[in-house]
Amino acid sequence: MANIIEIKNITKEFKVLNRREGLIGSFKDLFSRNYKTVRAVDNISMTVGQGEIVGYLGPNGAGKSTTIKMMTGVLEPTSGEILVGGNVPYKNRTKNAQEIGVVFGQRSQLWWALPLIESFKILRDIYQIPEQNYKSMLELYQSLVDIEPLLHKPVRQMSLGQRTLSDILAAFLHDPKIVFLDEPTIGLDVSMKSKIRTLIHALNKEKNTTVILTTHDMGDVDALCRRIVIIDKGKMLYDNDIEHLKGFFGSYRTLKIRVDGDLKEQSGVIQGELPDMKVSADDEWISVLVDEDKAKVIDVLGQIQKSRSVRDMKLEEISTEEVIRKIYEEGVK
Amino acid sequence: MKLKKYLTLTRAGIIEALQFRLSAFIMVVGNLSYLIVIYFLWKAIYASSGTDIVNGMTFNDTLIYLVLATALFGFMEMYTVWEMGRAIQSGKVVLDLIKPMDIRRYLFWCYSGNFVVNFFFTFLPTFIAVCIITNGAVPVGLNLVYFAVSVVMAILINYSIDFFTGTICVYTESIWGVNIMKQVIVLLLSGATIPLAFFPDGLRTVVEKLPFASIYNAPLTLLLDSSPNSDTLLETLGMQFIWCVSMTMISRLFWKVSLRKITVNGG
Amino acid sequence: MKRKSLRFYFRIYRKILAQDIKSKMSYRADFIISTIGMIFTNVAGFISFWILFRRFPSINGWSYHEMLFLYGFSLVSLTPVQCLFDNNWSLRQYVYTGDFIKYCFRPINLFFYFQSEVFDIKGLGQFAFGIGTLVYSWNKIGLDFTPLILLKVIVFLITASLIMIALQNAAAATCFWIQNSFYVLDLVYRFRDYAKYPITIFNPVFKFIFTFVIPIAFIAYYPSLVILRPDDIPLLSWLSPLFGLVFFWLSYKFWMHGALKYNGTGS
Repeated sequence: MANIIEIKNITKEFKVLNRREGLIGSFKDLFSRNYKTVRAVDNISMTVGQGEIVGYLGPNGAGKSTTIKMMTGVLEPTSGEILVGGNVPYKNRTKNAQEIGVVFGQRSQLWWALPLIESFKILRDIYQIPEQNYKSMLELYQSLVDIEPLLHKPVRQMSLGQRTLSDILAAFLHDPKIVFLDEPTIGLDVSMKSKIRTLIHALNKEKNTTVILTTHDMGDVDALCRRIVIIDKGKMLYDNDIEHLKGFFGSYRTLKIRVDGDLKEQSGVIQGELPDMKVSADDEWISVLVDEDKAKVIDVLGQIQKSRSVRDMKLEEISTEEVIRKIYEEGVK
Repeated sequence: MKLKKYLTLTRAGIIEALQFRLSAFIMVVGNLSYLIVIYFLWKAIYASSGTDIVNGMTFNDTLIYLVLATALFGFMEMYTVWEMGRAIQSGKVVLDLIKPMDIRRYLFWCYSGNFVVNFFFTFLPTFIAVCIITNGAVPVGLNLVYFAVSVVMAILINYSIDFFTGTICVYTESIWGVNIMKQVIVLLLSGATIPLAFFPDGLRTVVEKLPFASIYNAPLTLLLDSSPNSDTLLETLGMQFIWCVSMTMISRLFWKVSLRKITVNGG
Repeated sequence: MKRKSLRFYFRIYRKILAQDIKSKMSYRADFIISTIGMIFTNVAGFISFWILFRRFPSINGWSYHEMLFLYGFSLVSLTPVQCLFDNNWSLRQYVYTGDFIKYCFRPINLFFYFQSEVFDIKGLGQFAFGIGTLVYSWNKIGLDFTPLILLKVIVFLITASLIMIALQNAAAATCFWIQNSFYVLDLVYRFRDYAKYPITIFNPVFKFIFTFVIPIAFIAYYPSLVILRPDDIPLLSWLSPLFGLVFFWLSYKFWMHGALKYNGTGS
């Protein structure tokens, strides 16, 4: 697999004016400005192969959009090397733009007043898409989603979901090597979310397009990404398969049970019986976190049942979301 | 080192003022540039007329009139049309309707604070500066009282016209188009850009009968006239009063009728 | 990939333009009202002009019809900025909300892409008025009409509009640095009204300012001299095409610099 994105030790620093406090401070600011350097992206390296879907995750302000801006050529890195499709993006923004597509969740890049099909025609000219490719792309779209009702609707009359869908279609129209999707499902209802995930997945399969996806929605990650990259405070925390990620914290599962009596009280008793495990209770369930490397869930359940009857139970896998929250909070050991 | 302390405060004040008042500063530059242009323009006009008095006004009169008209404009412009238009189009007007206050009054009193600020910070300084520079060309006497009464009515008439125009936005999306028409008509026919005294007689007789003349021409004429005869005085103020009452009624009525459209269509 | 040719940009622009006009037409009421508003503005401008100058045979050596010529010239040369660069008025909103970034991902020139988005069709009304005035005053003054003169008129009209475009670009681009850039734009917008007066009415200080600092004298006065005073054309008139290009280029650079700087600060 050839690498489409190669990033080597990039760092991006911003100068922020450090305002001094008080009247005398602002007086001093007038003569000597005191800048503070903020490192938004700190020595990040990664490579992405053609056709991969990478989930690019991190809390707000982690440096995600700064990295994306560098990859799209809008920002120049302070240091480090960056190659996208063989180009240095910031040195030739327009050339790079020809090879990529970008979707920003809530900011439509389409012409507000125009029907979608007219936007497509203008994009065809801007990206100089050969007629044949354009036609086959439209046919492909036709086969994937029901675009007919969208084509003749001005963008401003579309619902948020239709607009996002249109934006994604527009981003793929010139058959770019890479598409950057920033929060594509934000604010959408469940059925629209799944529609959009299916579409992204299909386009990636069909065109072998690399997709860089930033999102806070773990549903997106679970549905689309095999690989995830996590950054926080500008530093890379994790870059590997999603399966591997879950393994990081051992093979935990949560056993949830309901018993007679006060749940809080009972959970204290159970904690005494199972000193190696973490037992907690909320209004509905008593949760027991079981490390499957050490004990089998069925044995734990049996032990609990010895001294009381369990009225109801369920078993929960630890979710990606929980793992990632753990990484944000504790880092990778 | 007392002085240094105070200078620091001054400095900080300037910094702050520049940061927060940049827009005001630019507006002053804009007004100054406008005044410079009209000064030279009218100077050229008077120079080519060959006489000192054109249509009963000296160069000084005309200039004072126009300077004060500009100051009045800065003080009376309320952007009501834009605000109403946006509120109607976004549907926010429904929230205003729920308030336990008539919307016409609500909008007016919301803006009334600006009248106070603008009066003290733009109109009054301009007026004093004009008095000093022209060295007594502005008569000081009872005319100030007439002027004050006249300005209050001018504000009310102007607001009624604005409110009326704003109500039109219930029927059309074109806030820009509606507003520009109103602005153009008011500025020209009220004598804000050219004193009505310069209008050709036929046109002037018609324009003086319209409500717009009550907004700028009436107060400014009263201000510049040191000894008005009681007939003109009564006529001007009476005319203003009539317009004040009738425009208020018309704009109220129009809103009432249009409100039905909002409540039926849900805004 | 090859550099995009002028023809490429021209074709894109034509496409966007055609679509934009089509969609504007579909909002018929808004379109009609805006057009009427524009006509109002122009008619009011003419009436003011007529009231001011009708009774004076000449102002500062400029006859009534020559003044009218200047007026018409300024109207025509202000058309392109009105029609083609109207999106400058929205720039500060895009910057403020962060939406500006969406213009940065296309493989075409950023400035072009941004400006191409809006075509303000109302400006064409102004164009018609301007042409009408030019033709009328041309006849009244009794100017010759030869292909050479027509060529001169066209060249100088284009360069004159470049100046105004440059002023507006620069004013709009201030929003990359300061928050409240509306007032800067508004200030520049007011300057265009002054362009129709001959620069000779000002004293030397303001003559200098309006020639070299805020070059509005190049919008109508200097270019018109080539037609109106063919015997005595100052060097500045001949240089005005050069000035137009230089100012436009500078404003373009300033705009792009601001855009890149803005992106650089993140957000």
